[in-house]
Amino acid sequence: MTTTGEGHDADDARDAHDLDGTRGHHAAPPSAIERRVAAIESLLVEKGLITSDAVDAVVAAYEHDIGPLNGARVVARAWVDDDYRRRLLADGTAAIGELGYGGAEGEHLVVVENTPEVHNLVVCTLCSCYPWPVLGLPPRWYKSFAYRARAVREPRAVMAEFGTTVPDDVEVRVWDSSAEVRYLVLPLRPPGTAGMGEAELAGLVTRDHMIGVVR
Amino acid sequence: MTARPPSPATDLPVDVPRRNGELVFAAPWEGRAFGLAAAYVEASGVGWGAFRDRLIAAIADLPDGTPYYEAWVSALERLIAEAGLAPPGAR
Repeated sequence: MTTTGEGHDADDARDAHDLDGTRGHHAAPPSAIERRVAAIESLLVEKGLITSDAVDAVVAAYEHDIGPLNGARVVARAWVDDDYRRRLLADGTAAIGELGYGGAEGEHLVVVENTPEVHNLVVCTLCSCYPWPVLGLPPRWYKSFAYRARAVREPRAVMAEFGTTVPDDVEVRVWDSSAEVRYLVLPLRPPGTAGMGEAELAGLVTRDHMIGVVR
Repeated sequence: MTARPPSPATDLPVDVPRRNGELVFAAPWEGRAFGLAAAYVEASGVGWGAFRDRLIAAIADLPDGTPYYEAWVSALERLIAEAGLAPPGAR
């Protein structure tokens, strides 16, 4: 884990990385899919089931408010408060709720802790299950067929593509989110951060740490 | 509701999430598709589990490499059709 906050350029590059060779291939032209989406909206509004304002509000919340910073705050709290850390590991949903986070895809949150002996990696092999309240919506690569297929089969090779080398004597545990459970990785607190406050610590934690592709 | 605002648990600047995230939606229709599903699941009471089942089925049915949110749209179309909401002739 970097303690400088640098490295997000590489992160961005990785997000654009063609993990499964499908980037840029669209099975349908955008105009066709846009028409399908518009048709759904017209139908649901016409039937009085939703309003366009409600849709706007959901989109805005996920674009601006609900994202990995929420999870970073949870991690930082666990790093500075041992009682909170124990509660978090015992009942993730309740402890995360203490910080005000919850809702869709957060009904059963389980936090798995990295230790010097164990590294945790999260995947959803069937689709794209992901702890929305603490990480927002998943990145493109998390939803890719390649990641879903390979994370279980060859986790160390997948992590290596993120620049992560887990020593051979560290056990890698892969958690498949495809049941009702959503997992969040509690990373190791980096060395040299003893003097840092909670807000500063939260700034060190990235989405990739909490998925486990970065240690 | 899904769109619960974040709590001010710390006093971090609000722009920090951009540092460790990517653009959430690659195109406006993706955001619209997501928001429609969230609003419909909430309003209808059908539950995210029901949506997720259709999403898993849609991903399995569509060719590998189909854009993710296209599977999302298919799942929402299926859910709506199963609720008897789709007009005759629409998929």
